[in-house]
Amino acid sequence: MSDRKLPRLLQTPAVILLLIWMLVPLSLTLYFSFIRYVLNNLRRPEWTTPSFSNWRGLGNYEFVLNSKDFLFAIQNSLLIVGSILFLTVILGVAIAVMINKAFPGRGIVRVLLISPFFVMPAVNAVLWINMILDPVLGLQGLAVGGINSVIASLQNAPLVGWFFSLWPQLEPISFRATQTSAYAVIIMVTWQWTPFAVLIFMTSLQSEDQQQKEAAVLDGAGTWSQFRFLTLPHLSRPIAIVVMIQAIFHLSLYAEIEIVSRGNGNKNLPYLIGEFANNNIGAASATGIFAVILANIVAIFLLRMIGKTLME
Amino acid sequence: MGRIVLENVTKSFGDAQVIPPLDLTIEDGEFAVFVGPSGCGKSTLLRLIAGLEETTSGKIMIDGEDATQVPPSKRGLAMVFQSYALYPHMTVRKNIAFPLRMAKMDQAEIDKKVEGAAKILNLDDYLEQKPGQLSGGQRQRVAIGRAIVREPAAFLFDEPLSNLDAALRVGMRLEISELHNRLATTMIYVTHDQVEAMTMANKIVVLRAGHIEQVGSPLDLYRTPRNLFVAGFIGSPKMNFIEGAEAEKHGAKTIGIRPEHIAVSSDTGPWEGTVGVSEHLGSDTFFHIHNSGLAETITVRADGEVGFKHGDRVRLAPREDVIHRFGADGLRIE
Repeated sequence: MSDRKLPRLLQTPAVILLLIWMLVPLSLTLYFSFIRYVLNNLRRPEWTTPSFSNWRGLGNYEFVLNSKDFLFAIQNSLLIVGSILFLTVILGVAIAVMINKAFPGRGIVRVLLISPFFVMPAVNAVLWINMILDPVLGLQGLAVGGINSVIASLQNAPLVGWFFSLWPQLEPISFRATQTSAYAVIIMVTWQWTPFAVLIFMTSLQSEDQQQKEAAVLDGAGTWSQFRFLTLPHLSRPIAIVVMIQAIFHLSLYAEIEIVSRGNGNKNLPYLIGEFANNNIGAASATGIFAVILANIVAIFLLRMIGKTLME
Repeated sequence: MGRIVLENVTKSFGDAQVIPPLDLTIEDGEFAVFVGPSGCGKSTLLRLIAGLEETTSGKIMIDGEDATQVPPSKRGLAMVFQSYALYPHMTVRKNIAFPLRMAKMDQAEIDKKVEGAAKILNLDDYLEQKPGQLSGGQRQRVAIGRAIVREPAAFLFDEPLSNLDAALRVGMRLEISELHNRLATTMIYVTHDQVEAMTMANKIVVLRAGHIEQVGSPLDLYRTPRNLFVAGFIGSPKMNFIEGAEAEKHGAKTIGIRPEHIAVSSDTGPWEGTVGVSEHLGSDTFFHIHNSGLAETITVRADGEVGFKHGDRVRLAPREDVIHRFGADGLRIE
């Protein structure tokens, strides 16, 4: 046996296990996506069991492509993921830089900052949509109501009353509505995942070379230049990591979307798969294949953009 | 231009005073070396001059102007750090250009200055590389280049050679000395290595626990160390200290004699001992002599070809005119 054969042989069980792990679900999904397979159909009971005799070819794909929600779900997936990435990275860098300086109570502040990350996604969604964003009973509703009543009382005040009567009555935003439910999801997921970004950036900031900063101070760099020319380049790798990991996670958001509006005006591909899977497994599988393709496209883009930073 | 004067400068971290009141003048164009064992406050002193640490009290004057409250970037000083402190994601060119860019200098002028500095430091071929691709000596040169382009009033070096290997250190030592000759700018250099201090300095400042023990030219310090600490610190190998009857004969508490001022032979000389370890350097041999009855070990420098072996009985003849005498307070007796 040559030198290479033995190590390869020893690796085989792990590789085979991984292959089974990935290939079995993928092939089953592919198989289901090419046949008619529904959970319940009284007229065609034969479709309720998967079988090659129910072959539908590309019919499921056609059906999915023609369904009104498909394109919307893809756009919406990208909107949600893109917005969350943008917000978490900016907030994460800002907060990490702020708490990197020594101040009394820093330890407690750090623990508090990181705690949102430990809230379960469903709990997070329930808390936000009911307690904070609700237009009547939530913090938002109370705040808008409070401001409105203050304005209303000022409108009757002497001297300044005329000024406040020009003000419109503020309307609370309903975040369960078709137009806004995606923003509710973006807000709550950003709140939950900013701590992740902060955590990664914070550890990275602590490894920043202090002598470089002192050299920059002597070279005449102000606070902004130090951030721009030293800290930001130093953070490029952790930013790349945060973007990659979050992109993977947020393409598969589900709980928040379900709880905020049950997909009303706000679907992504996983949610669409879930809807199809209520009955039409064939269409759900075809959507799943589309999701795999989308994830790969996003991954290729990310790797192109970020890979260079990581490889350096 | 670059005359730096410290008046009554002190520095405390919390309750601990690391620099007790200290006065020092460094003349324009001088190569001053702060030397002392680790923790003696030499780096702190340099950082005070640079403005990276705030003085607790006292005044720092640069070219006659009080710079105590002036921010570091406005003091006109350039510093070279032990870790080089290069900006890792910038090319060598951008590293060297950084201070000029911060000063909002014209791009054409920046290019001219960077190329000029690169030529002086033999960095022409590396301008487009990043610091990570360079060797230690080249990185050190880039750090020096970044300091040169600013045309500072004084250069501050904080143990710049301690991360380099021994051969490179000797080379860089020469390069820095040559640079000083060429630029004739004030340089302040911090090191714990007395060889660097002796070879490079016009003026050595020996520090211990924040106190200045002695200031002087290398040969002043070598010839007339003011106290036992300086006597032991300057010179390699260390000066031999002898106490007891032999010292009293010279009217001192302690006498010091450098290894190179003792002749070793098999028959002549007032002292006697057994050869312990002998270190052969080729040009010189250092013998460590035991059982002389004077001190635990007496180090003696002899010619490289002198061939005493371990256990040989030898006689030692000190040169009477270069015996240093120290009193009970550790100070030199003239």
